[in-house]
Amino acid sequence: MTVLILTSEADVTADMVVVHLNDAAVPVVRLDPADLTGGAALSGEYAHGSFHGRLSSGGRLVSVNGLRSIWTRRPGTAAARAAAPSAWLAEEAEQALYGMLRGCDARWMNHPDAARRARYKPWQLRVAQRCGLPVPATLITTFPQAARAFAVRHPDLVVKPVSGTHPQDPPRAVPTSRVPPDADFSAVAFGPTLLQRRIAKRADIRLTAVGDRLLAARKTSEPDGEVDVRFTASDAPWCPVEVPPPVAEGVHAYLREAELSYGAFDFAEDADGMWWFLECNQSGQFGFIEVETGQPISRVIAEWLARPAPGVGAAGGGADAAAP
Amino acid sequence: MQPFALNYARPAAESEVTAAYAYDSGLQLNVLRDGRIAACDRALLRELGTTTSTAGSKTHFDD
Repeated sequence: MTVLILTSEADVTADMVVVHLNDAAVPVVRLDPADLTGGAALSGEYAHGSFHGRLSSGGRLVSVNGLRSIWTRRPGTAAARAAAPSAWLAEEAEQALYGMLRGCDARWMNHPDAARRARYKPWQLRVAQRCGLPVPATLITTFPQAARAFAVRHPDLVVKPVSGTHPQDPPRAVPTSRVPPDADFSAVAFGPTLLQRRIAKRADIRLTAVGDRLLAARKTSEPDGEVDVRFTASDAPWCPVEVPPPVAEGVHAYLREAELSYGAFDFAEDADGMWWFLECNQSGQFGFIEVETGQPISRVIAEWLARPAPGVGAAGGGADAAAP
Repeated sequence: MQPFALNYARPAAESEVTAAYAYDSGLQLNVLRDGRIAACDRALLRELGTTTSTAGSKTHFDD
């Protein structure tokens, strides 16, 4: 049975996993939904009470019922590279592809429904609270007065996007940033604003969860340095670190509630060694952690993907064939 | 009328690394000009930063 990887061609991080799957002789089909209806194609027939679907990509043909797992890694917008792309065609292609895939028995990393929900950062904070993970005091508001009152209670604040997205017109990045004590909060009225008590961190933690496996890495922070680790100029390396049992318990509970098989968790470690939950990226990058720490994240992902589909032996049908 | 969070925005840095390797549809992997598999060259991956968590990407927002 085959592993289907939905991602872009340029995704070299996915390559790290493909290499392991190749070594294990596990059939792989890599498909970018953006290539529908050029380099990728699909067909599915519902008749006589059963379903038979096929996908092709790069000259490979695979049966939808022959998929053991589906990895939604960095899929492009469906039909984005079609000869005549349009919003309507994108929706048609998205519905056809993901609608067919939803009906198969393959295991997902991660299921699109779980992935969509897991991107809501306010929801993440509530799930983390329920799972016993420490969450810094946070306010999301469009009321300037609420922001001012929160700043009185928590004078040392950071601001970050609610969605995690960044404006593209023009392209800009909105890093997690410290809010000065004399900030004017009037502009809070013009958009939902996420304010959070700043954790005086001594390290950043990136915990990569793959199924039941937790692999954590730690990067020492500079006092009063850049809040957002993605923008830090620090040369401090990422190093493997043990996950404290209470955190592991909370992360496992989070994954269960969120119905995720993969998650990249960000924590801030304070001076007392406590790990404060910041967010969980359901498709977060892991390559840079593996490259720096040597942790076998890509191999663990490959092993998870290579497991048989529920109720099917590893030697089941659905082997690759040449596309017609 | 600008939302509060955009007071802290910075220009996005988009890396241009496409020339270092190219996708081989037969292998389903990106390969270097000398034919080696890019993902196996960890020093190169570190140098290019293409596996790194970034902010401001227009292609994805899962870091």
